[in-house]
Amino acid sequence: MVGSLLAIGIIASIFVGFNIGGSSTGIAWGPPVGAGIVKKTTAAALMTFFVFLGGWTVGRNVMDTLSEGIITTDLTLTAGVAVLFFIGLGILIANIFGVPVPTSMTTVGAIAGLGLATGTLNYATIAEIVSWWIVTPIIGFWIGGVIGRYIYPEVNRRVQIEKSAGPLLALDRDGTIPKPTFGPNTTWAELGTTVVVLVIGCYMAFSAGASNVPNAAAPLVGGVGGLPDDTAIIIATLAIGFGGFTIARRTMESVGGELSDIPLLAALFVMVTASTITTLLSWIGIPISLVMATVMTIVGIGWGRATRPITFREAVTRDTGEPEIVPGAITAEEMEGKPAAPIGEEEPEEVLKAGDLFNPRAIMKYISMWIIGPSVSTVLAYGFFILIPGVA
Amino acid sequence: MRLLVPMDDSEHANLALEYALDNYPEADITVLHVVGAPSMMMGEAVGLVFENDISDAAAKRAEPVFERANKIASERDQDINTTVGIGYPIRNILDRVEKYDTIVLGAHGEDWSRVTRRFLVGNVAETVSRRASIPVILVR
Repeated sequence: MVGSLLAIGIIASIFVGFNIGGSSTGIAWGPPVGAGIVKKTTAAALMTFFVFLGGWTVGRNVMDTLSEGIITTDLTLTAGVAVLFFIGLGILIANIFGVPVPTSMTTVGAIAGLGLATGTLNYATIAEIVSWWIVTPIIGFWIGGVIGRYIYPEVNRRVQIEKSAGPLLALDRDGTIPKPTFGPNTTWAELGTTVVVLVIGCYMAFSAGASNVPNAAAPLVGGVGGLPDDTAIIIATLAIGFGGFTIARRTMESVGGELSDIPLLAALFVMVTASTITTLLSWIGIPISLVMATVMTIVGIGWGRATRPITFREAVTRDTGEPEIVPGAITAEEMEGKPAAPIGEEEPEEVLKAGDLFNPRAIMKYISMWIIGPSVSTVLAYGFFILIPGVA
Repeated sequence: MRLLVPMDDSEHANLALEYALDNYPEADITVLHVVGAPSMMMGEAVGLVFENDISDAAAKRAEPVFERANKIASERDQDINTTVGIGYPIRNILDRVEKYDTIVLGAHGEDWSRVTRRFLVGNVAETVSRRASIPVILVR
C-alpha cells in the first residue's frame, strides 16, 4: 500500500518537476539562448547542474518550511501525495489556459488548505510567508526602478555586449599540446561578456533550484514510508533537468522570446536582481515564486526607464528635437549619433508616452493571478481534506 | 464621416477593415494599431521603453499590420490613414473616440484562442463596445 502510494507520489513529483524545469529553464536561459550566446542543450545541462546545487543547499530551508513549518505536524506521505496533485492541477491549468500560475505559491496554498482542514495550520509561519509575498514584489519593483532610472544608463554607456561570428574559442593544434585560443572574431571583451552571461544564467538556475526543487521534493519527504531528503532532491532535480532538455526548447522561445524583446544588458540586470531576491528568501526558508520576482523587476526596470529624469546636458542637446517634455512620459533618450530633426520638418501628430505602457489596471490584473492562484489552491485543498478526512 | 478601425494581427481585424471600406467608401478611415500591450512578462512593453526613439520603434513594430491594411485598401482603390498607439489597447481606443464618429472593430482579436489575455486583460471588443461614447460596429 505504502509502496504503491509512494510510486504514485514519485510520478506526480516527476510531473511537477518536469513542468517546473520547462518554465524556469525558459526564464533563466531564454535571454542568453535568444542572444545566441549558448546553445539550448548547453543551457539545459547547466540548468540541471545548478538547479541541483540550489536544491541541495539553500533549497533544504524551503523544504523544511513546506514539510514541517506551515503545519504543526509532519506532512504525511498520503497528504503529501494529495498536495502534489493540487500542485500538478495548478500546472495543468497553467499549461492548458496559458495562465501564469506560480508553483511555489500554489504549493503553500495547498499545504495551508490541509492545515486549515485538520486544524494544524501554523498561523505565525503562514503570516510570515504571506507578508513576504506582499513585500517582495514591492522590493523587486523598487530595485528594478532604481536600476532602470539611474544604474542602467550609466552601465549602458560603458558596456557593449557583442557576439561575433564564428566559434568563441578554438583549439590551437600547432603545438605538441592542443591549447584553446580565441575563435576567428573573438575579442577579450566578447569572451568576458560571454562568461558574465553564463555566470548569471547559472546563478538564476541556482535560485530556481533553491525555490522550486522543494515544490516537487518536499511532499514526498517524511512520514511513514516517505523518501529521505537527498533522494527526493535528486528525483526532483532529474525531473527538472528532463523538462529542461525537452519542453524548455519551446519555453526558451516563448517566455525567453518575450524576455529577449528587452535588451540583453537589461535582462541580465533583471536576472541578477530576481535571482538574488529568490535566493535570499529561500535561504530564510520562505517559498517564493521566481517568476513573480522576475516579472516585478522587469516592470520596475521598465518603469524606471520610462520615468528617467532628463539630465541638463541631454536637455540642452536635444531641445530642437522635441517640442515639449511631457511629465511622466519618456523624457530622455541616448543621443548616440541621432541627428535632431531639422527645424520646420513636420512633427508627428502626437508624442507617444512611455508611461502609457505601464497601465496600472492592466498590470494589476496580471498581479491578481498571484493572489488568485494560491487562494484557489487553499480552498480546493481545504475542501478536499475536509471531505476526505482519512487522507491527512 | 470619420471611422476608427483598430486592428491587431488577427483575421477578424482584416474583416473589420474590409467591412468599413466596403460599406463606407466615402468615409475617412483611420487604422489604429496598438503595440506594447501588457503581457505575462511585460517583454514587449519594456522592450519598447528601452528603445532610443520610442515613436520610431512603435512605428516599426506596427508596420506589418499597416502593410496588410494598405494592401486591403489598395485592392479596393481606397485610401486609409494609419496611426500607432502604445500600451493598453482598450484605453488607447477609448481615448480617441472624440476624433471619430464610429468605431469598426473585429468581434474578437488574436487573443481569442488565448484564454490568458481574454481573461486577464479583457476582451477588447466587448469592453470598447460597452464603454465607448460613440457607435461601435462589431464585425464577425
